[in-house]
Amino acid sequence: MKLRMVGCTHREANLDLRQRLAFDDKQVAEALKQWRVDLPGTELALLSTCNRVELYAAAEENTPDSQSLVAALARFHHLAPGDIGPEIMTLADREVAEHLFRVTASLDSMVVGESQILSQVKRAFQSAQTMNAAGPRLNGLFQAALRAAKRVAGETTLHRHRVSVASVAISELATCVFETFDDKHVLVAGAGEMAEETLRYLQDSGSPRIHVVNRSRERGELLAEKYGGKVHPWEELSEQLVKADLAISTTSASEPIMTAAEFATAISPRRHQRPLVILDLAVPKDFDPAIGDELGVYLYSLDDLHQACQRNQASRAAALPAAEEIIREETVRFVAETHLRASAPVITELREGLHRPKEAELERLFNRLPQLDETSKQEIRQFADRLVNKLLHSPLESLRDASQSGTHHGLLEALRRLFKIES
Amino acid sequence: MDSGINIICFAASYAVALALELSGLWATVRFRRMGEVLAAAAGLVAHTWYLGRRVAEQPAAPLASQQEWFLLAAWVLAVVYLAARFYYPSKSLGLFLLPGVLSLIGAATLAPAKPLVSFEAPRVWGIVHGLFLLVGTVAVLVGFLAGLMYLLQSRRLKLKRLPTTGLKLPSLEWLEHANSRALGMATLMMCGGLLSGIITRLAQKGSTLKFSWTDPVVISLAAMTAWLLVAEVFRRVYPAARQGRKVAYLTMAAFGFLLLVLAAVLWGDRFHQPYGTAEATSVERIAPQTLLRGGEK
Repeated sequence: MKLRMVGCTHREANLDLRQRLAFDDKQVAEALKQWRVDLPGTELALLSTCNRVELYAAAEENTPDSQSLVAALARFHHLAPGDIGPEIMTLADREVAEHLFRVTASLDSMVVGESQILSQVKRAFQSAQTMNAAGPRLNGLFQAALRAAKRVAGETTLHRHRVSVASVAISELATCVFETFDDKHVLVAGAGEMAEETLRYLQDSGSPRIHVVNRSRERGELLAEKYGGKVHPWEELSEQLVKADLAISTTSASEPIMTAAEFATAISPRRHQRPLVILDLAVPKDFDPAIGDELGVYLYSLDDLHQACQRNQASRAAALPAAEEIIREETVRFVAETHLRASAPVITELREGLHRPKEAELERLFNRLPQLDETSKQEIRQFADRLVNKLLHSPLESLRDASQSGTHHGLLEALRRLFKIES
Repeated sequence: MDSGINIICFAASYAVALALELSGLWATVRFRRMGEVLAAAAGLVAHTWYLGRRVAEQPAAPLASQQEWFLLAAWVLAVVYLAARFYYPSKSLGLFLLPGVLSLIGAATLAPAKPLVSFEAPRVWGIVHGLFLLVGTVAVLVGFLAGLMYLLQSRRLKLKRLPTTGLKLPSLEWLEHANSRALGMATLMMCGGLLSGIITRLAQKGSTLKFSWTDPVVISLAAMTAWLLVAEVFRRVYPAARQGRKVAYLTMAAFGFLLLVLAAVLWGDRFHQPYGTAEATSVERIAPQTLLRGGEK
C-alpha cells in the first residue's frame, strides 16, 4: 500500500495561506466528489481545520504524485499551484502514518493536547466515507490513528491539563465550586473577546442563565443575543452581583469597577455567604483583590489563571515523551500490519500450493492401502498436516520478520519465483 | 470464626484500598482505581460474611454486642464508600471515607464482644432503637467527612491552588448538599433513637423514673441530639447557615459530640451492664438493658 499526504499546517504556512486553502463541510464534499473523477483508483480524505489543510491519498501500487495532489487542492480554490508551492508539506508512506497519528493525538496541534482535533479527524474520515472516496486502505490508516490517539489519551496525562485561560477557568475552577451550570446565574461585565470565549466553554458545560451588563448597551445586546442571555443597564451591576453565582469581568475600565468596601457593604450582606466565583479577566483588574477575602468569594484574576495555565503546560510537556513513544510504537505496528496484509495473498497461495499435492498424495496412498482403518488414516493425515506446517513455518516466520522491518519485498519475490506463485 | 474470616481480613482489604487511594496522590499507578474497588469489594464481602456468620450463630446478631454494632456501622459506611466510588470514580472520596470505616472497625476491636444479657423489652423496639442510632451515627460521620472535604476544597480554591492532579474532591455545591442532607438525616435518626430508647425502657418497666440520666452515654447522646436539633433549626431559619462553610462547621461540631458518645460507650458506660456485674448499679438492676447494647449510646 502506498500513502501520500500534501497540505499545510500552522507550523509551515501562515494564516493567509491556510485561509485560502480552507474547506468548509460543503466544499469538502464537493472537492472529494470532483477528485474521485480526476484521480481514479485513489482513496482520498481531506482534513480541513483552522490550523491545517491536509489531503490524504492511498492506493495499492502508486498514488498520484505530490504535484498532482497540490494541483488538485489549488484547482479547487482557483489558485495556481505555484501560489502555494513553497509552504506545502508533502509526506509519503510511513511519514504519512506517523504524521496523522501525531495530528489525531493532538501532538501537532497549536495547543498541544487540545481535544477538538480528534473529532475533526473523525469527521474528515466520515465525510470521505460518505462520498465513497475512502476505502479499506484509508480505513486502516484512520482506525490506527484513532487507536493511537486513544492510547495517548488513556496512558498519558497529556489531555488532562487545560492550557487556555477560559478552559482552565471553567473546567478546573468553576467545576470545583458548582456541580452543574444549568441553573446558575452568570453575570458578564463587559463584552470583550475573553468573555465570549469563556461563555463558549460555559455553554459546552451546561445551560446557565446569562446576564450581561455593559457600558455600551449595543455591544452588550449583541453578546447577550448570541448566547441567549439578557442585557441589563450598567447601573444594575451591584444588583446582578448579588444574584450571581459566576461573574466574568472583561471591561476596559482603568479603575476597578467594584471596590472591596462597596462589595462588603452593598453585596456581601445580601449574599449570605452563597459561593460566588469571580473571573476577573480584565487588565487592569476590575475587582479589588481584597474582595477575594470575603467568605464564599473565589476571586481569580487573569494572572492567577495564567499561572494555572503555565503549570498545566509544564505538566503537558512532561507527558510528551511518553506520548511520542506511543506514536512511534503505533507507527511501527501499522507499518508491519500493512506489510503483512500485502504478503497475505502470497502466504495463502504458498499454503495451498503445498496442501494440494498433500491431499493428492494422501488419496493415492489410501487407495493403495485399502486395509487401513479410520484411526490409521487419521494418524497419517495428521502426520501429513504437521509435516506441511513445519515446512511452512520457517519461511512464513522469515516473511513476518521481514514485513516488520519493511524488507519483505525481495523475500516475497523469491517465494513467488521458487513456488511459482502467480499472484 | 470457623470460616477463617476474621476482623483482620476485611480491615486489611479496606487498608489496601486506602493505600491505593493514597498512592494516587503522588504517582500514576496503572489500574489503581480498579484495584481500589476490588480491594474494598473483597473487604465488604468478607465483612458481610463475618456479620452473616454472627447472625447464624446468634439470632440477636448483628446488634447483640457493642462490637457488632460498631462493625455494622463500619459495614454501612463501606457500602456508602463503594456507592460513592461507583458514582464519582474520579474523586478521592476514599481518602476520607475509608479512614472512617477503619476507625469504626478499630473501635469494634476495643468494644466488648460478649453478648448482652437477654432482654425483656419487645424485640421490635430494640431493633428500631439500634438501627436509628446506627444510621444516625453513619450520617453524622458522612456529614463530618463532607464538611471536612468542603473546608479543604474551599481553602484550596481560596489559595488559588487548582486541583489538576492528585487529591480530587467533589464540587463545593455537591459537598454542601451532602452535608445538609447528612445533618437532616442525623437529626431525624438521633431523635428517633433517643425516643425509641425511652419507649424501650417504658416497655420494660412501665416507667423511666429510675432511669440512669447521669450515665455518660445518656448525657452525651442527649447532648448530641440536642445539638443536632438546634443545628438543624438554625440551618433552616438562618439563610447563611444553609450554605457555605457554616453548615460544614455545624456537622463537624456534631462529630465532636459523636466522639464523646463513642468514648462514653467504650470507656464510661454503666448504663448497659448486665445483671450481677461489678459495674451494675441498682438503677440498672431495676431497669434491665435492652439487647441492643450499642443502641442506647
